[in-house]
Amino acid sequence: MFEVRRRSSRVILQLVLFVLTVPFLLPLVQMVIGALGGIGWRNFVVVWDTGVIPTFFRNSAILAAAVIAIVYVLSMTASFGFSKLRIFGKEVYFWLMLAALTLPEVILLSPLFVTATQLHLYNTLTAVVLPLAALQLPFAILLTRNYFDGIPTELIDAGRIDGASVVQTFWHIVLPLTKPIASAVVVLTLINSWNSYLLPLVFLQDRSKQVVTLLPQFFVGEYTNDQTKILAAAVLTAIPTVLAYVLMQKNFERGLSAGALK
Amino acid sequence: MTTTSLTTTTTPGRTAGAAGRSRRHGTHLNGLPWILPAFVFVVGLIYYSVFYTGYISTLDWDGLAPTAKAVGLGNFTKMFADPVFWAALRHTAVFYVVTFTVQTALGFVLAAIMHSRVRLAMLHKVVIFIPTVLAPATMAPVFRLIYADDGMANWILRHVGLGSLAHPWLADGNTALPALMLITVWQWTGLTFILYYAAMSQIEPELLEAARLDRAGNLRTLWYIVWPGCRGTTVSLAMLGFIGALKTFDIPYLVTTGGPYHSTEFLGTYIYRMGIRQAHIGYAAAISIVLLVLAVAGALIIGRANRKGASA
Repeated sequence: MFEVRRRSSRVILQLVLFVLTVPFLLPLVQMVIGALGGIGWRNFVVVWDTGVIPTFFRNSAILAAAVIAIVYVLSMTASFGFSKLRIFGKEVYFWLMLAALTLPEVILLSPLFVTATQLHLYNTLTAVVLPLAALQLPFAILLTRNYFDGIPTELIDAGRIDGASVVQTFWHIVLPLTKPIASAVVVLTLINSWNSYLLPLVFLQDRSKQVVTLLPQFFVGEYTNDQTKILAAAVLTAIPTVLAYVLMQKNFERGLSAGALK
Repeated sequence: MTTTSLTTTTTPGRTAGAAGRSRRHGTHLNGLPWILPAFVFVVGLIYYSVFYTGYISTLDWDGLAPTAKAVGLGNFTKMFADPVFWAALRHTAVFYVVTFTVQTALGFVLAAIMHSRVRLAMLHKVVIFIPTVLAPATMAPVFRLIYADDGMANWILRHVGLGSLAHPWLADGNTALPALMLITVWQWTGLTFILYYAAMSQIEPELLEAARLDRAGNLRTLWYIVWPGCRGTTVSLAMLGFIGALKTFDIPYLVTTGGPYHSTEFLGTYIYRMGIRQAHIGYAAAISIVLLVLAVAGALIIGRANRKGASA
């Protein structure tokens, strides 16, 4: 956007970029330095030896997988219906769902707490998976419906003329075309469920059920004043997310920005 | 031949029987089964919760006792007289205005710079975007350390000759909220940046070329061509930031627990404190209802502003 011809202004621009970017790095530097304080890298060994990390990671993975599965299946089928099939009062259904788009999850806390206790779902991943998926679905449907609208109806007609059923058309013609938006939905849902904190905090008290976002607190409880262990745990939690991002940069950026744009 | 579109109704039956009947109503008679699972799931869970919240807000209840006392609008009267509730609202408003402004300015400028053929653009992009994918809950302990008396923030201040400003940022009611805003800016500028970066790729090169031919400087071009060209992105970000501000929970809860003296209390942290910690679930539900109204009203207002601006 800036047109820089002179060498001096080019250097200045590069310098401005550097100065603006460095602060983004500082907290990460602090995290790593802090984690290596005291007994150095052995902090990681101590943290790992508590044996809880695999459990927390496994629970987070199950949570994320379950939410992704629900969101993926329901958003794909619903968007196909909304975009390509006849439904009486279609837009009413659509807007009733979209109204849920803006809701902060904390609003659901009291009723979910009461209901989960009554249904004996307290301390189960289900109590977290269901509301998380329900909160993510409206947005996923908005995204995928827009995408489905861009798929030419003629393609589907062609399948119909060849005698394919609706299900076959959906499966063989539509689904293969939706990969880009599907990967955006999956990444967005993955980040939101992996990083979710409030619902796990309220519903998962039992340590064998807890997820990675609750790890720092677990270690605060274990080592009250030893920040190095807490930061070592933070580093271990951050590594998979950062790795996933670096490896699938395009998908992440598309997914998260799709999350912000309509 | 006749089947032109799945959604048009006029396809005279060319086959007999049931298939023919369904074709008359569009190729597929009924798409309802396709949307019903999602609809029932979302509307069931969320609307159920919202109406239940409305009901609970009229109770004096701890959420567990078999009997609850109905207090009508009592919780709401109590809430409007509660200084902490108003403080939480004020913090949310200030938080939104400041973080949105700073993120927009920073993200926009960074995107413009990256579109200017600088070196190592990819590396800078990754560094700026990484905070977006990290869980606030993971970073909270790091920021507690950074803002501590002997933390990185004060260390930097002392080394650039601003040692007089150094103090425990989170323990001071005047600086705790700005400190949290800075964390939010750190975390979400990457998203603002990526969105502006994408929006700027959509601006027609001819427009920029024309501005250059008219001898408009870099800053004028940026302000009169690029910024208006990114309007849609700015509105989306305004909406996203608004909802984000209302949702704020993880960072204040984990970094300052809403303190000192409620100076970083948000609606989310207050609802949690009241509902889950202190078991005043009726009161928490009443605050939730206000939060709900604000979220829906805000989304409608920004959405309308968007439509008006787009048609103008």
